[in-house]
Amino acid sequence: MPTLIACFKWVIDEAYIRRGSDGKLDLSAVDYKIGEYDRNAIEEAARLRDAGGGGSVIGITVGTTEAAKGVKDGLSRGMDRAFFIADPDFRDLEPARTAAILAEVIQSRIPQYDLITCGEGSSDLYAQQVGPRLAELLGIPCVAFVQKITLGDGKIVAERKVEEGTEVVSAPTPALVTVLPDINTPRIPGVKDTLMAGKKPVTTITKRDLPSMPEARLKTVDMKAARMERSCEKFGTDPGEIKKFIDALVRKGVIR
Amino acid sequence: MDFKLTEEQELIRKNIREFCVKHVDPIAAEIDEKEIHPADLFKKLAEGGWMGIPIPTQWGGSGSDYLTNAIVVEELSRSCSSTGFTVSIHVGIACMLINLLGNEDQKKKYLVPLATGQHMGAFVLTEPGAGTDVMAATTTAAKDGDFYVINGTKTFISNGPLADTYLVFCWTDKAAGRKGMSSFIIPKGTAGLKPGEHFHKMGLRSSQTSEVVFKDCRVPKANLLGPEGAGLGNAMLGFDHGRVGIAAQGVGILQAALDESIRYSKERVQMGTPIARHQAIAWMIADMATDLQAARWLTYHAAWLKDQGKPFSKEASMAKLYASEKAMHHTIKAVQIHGGYGYIKGAKVERIMRDAKILEIYEGSSEAQRMVISGTVLR
Repeated sequence: MPTLIACFKWVIDEAYIRRGSDGKLDLSAVDYKIGEYDRNAIEEAARLRDAGGGGSVIGITVGTTEAAKGVKDGLSRGMDRAFFIADPDFRDLEPARTAAILAEVIQSRIPQYDLITCGEGSSDLYAQQVGPRLAELLGIPCVAFVQKITLGDGKIVAERKVEEGTEVVSAPTPALVTVLPDINTPRIPGVKDTLMAGKKPVTTITKRDLPSMPEARLKTVDMKAARMERSCEKFGTDPGEIKKFIDALVRKGVIR
Repeated sequence: MDFKLTEEQELIRKNIREFCVKHVDPIAAEIDEKEIHPADLFKKLAEGGWMGIPIPTQWGGSGSDYLTNAIVVEELSRSCSSTGFTVSIHVGIACMLINLLGNEDQKKKYLVPLATGQHMGAFVLTEPGAGTDVMAATTTAAKDGDFYVINGTKTFISNGPLADTYLVFCWTDKAAGRKGMSSFIIPKGTAGLKPGEHFHKMGLRSSQTSEVVFKDCRVPKANLLGPEGAGLGNAMLGFDHGRVGIAAQGVGILQAALDESIRYSKERVQMGTPIARHQAIAWMIADMATDLQAARWLTYHAAWLKDQGKPFSKEASMAKLYASEKAMHHTIKAVQIHGGYGYIKGAKVERIMRDAKILEIYEGSSEAQRMVISGTVLR
């Protein structure tokens, strides 16, 4: 019976982001959610567990202490237990550091596992690095952008979506996959799923419990809302005005 | 004082919202137009445990609380008021009354299928001549050995045409006055019980409403819900719970009015600027948001009192009165903000304005709520 690890991130729900008057992102009233692609990762792990007739799904996330709600959310989505690596300093970690922390915790605390599932990228920064970096640190095969997986006989067979078609890859377990959104439809937890989530075991790990972490190399200098410039010019319908209209389109580069 | 919902309540709100976006929003206009009860949708609601939220797991429910149920009714109503109401009356009255008053056998036989959502419940009290004046009811239950024989006509019964389990209120001893009414659990298919045809309504059109006629309907004594003569009190207990649900429905409608008004007023440009920047519109939206917040806290407070085991009858009436009247007021404003587009079939504000009106009428009209509230504060 397989042991699966599902990695997920508690991210800002983009529906709550507002544009401040200074053009910066206003995050003062945001809510959070499990990243969209990570929901697919959790769902796929739960599906493979159920298809394997048992086993377990261990969720793992790195974040600030407020992400505790995200752990409960993940547990309501099919995970059996979770590792919550939490510290106030773990806000906006760069992918290399997140991967290093995950690798340390998996190596030191989960002695045996068959497959790690990650989303294709986080739904906030979408760097798409944590999955491949984690596989590298653990020294296991990585298959990215997977749209279908089977697990059994000590290997995975994964279908990857590539530019011109589908590639079928086989790899020995333990392995890591990053999954695409079309791999499954994540469940909407029912009432009991949410109520039971709080009763599942969670191991909380703090920064103090970890050996040294890699230095931060990336620094977010600024973050601004995308802005679409709009302008309005009015033209009449006589030939002279239409000429002006065409000139304006040429001037703006709309036509040449 | 703590105005925070629990993490579970916040997650459940997100989950039911996601459910609504996926399963309710796409069909809401059509089931209103065609007056269809969406059986597939209710099957999904049952699978998620949304049809018995505050009922203990022992009896097929989800083992949560009444505040969580109110949040779910609110979110469902935000998408489709008919759906929110159908859940509200099923859970808030049918399930709750059997849970509170039923004996073990009744809970096993009737509550489990109701709370799991396999069965649908109905609250059968109103008669053609007895609305707010419950005492004017004429349906009787005459004792005949170990049976009661029920005769009479009930009307405006929500879930009437499709219920599996009817909670019926009728006189066992008219002369005993307030202590002469009793309540019965009557399963569908009982000889002499006949649901009527669905009434065509102004709003809440996918909620199925009909007469329920009893003609020499023989019901075993075992189906008495609570003691004989306790029916009126049981009905009032049902109303207390039901009114929190109607208040939550009003909150959902108010939220929908606000959602639609904000969206449209930012898009609609008149005189060179989005109408949201015109003070006349902005102030309507400010009032809408303020009344929504007030209605929501009144509703949550009533539900919270219920969960704390404290009296909540007055607060349920206050929440129901306020949320209902504000829902009506602001859905009219929402149509006004939308102008001609809001008057066209298919516009959500057109539907929610029609849906809002019934809130001021059923489960105790606004006038009846004022009677309850004034009766309490003037005591």
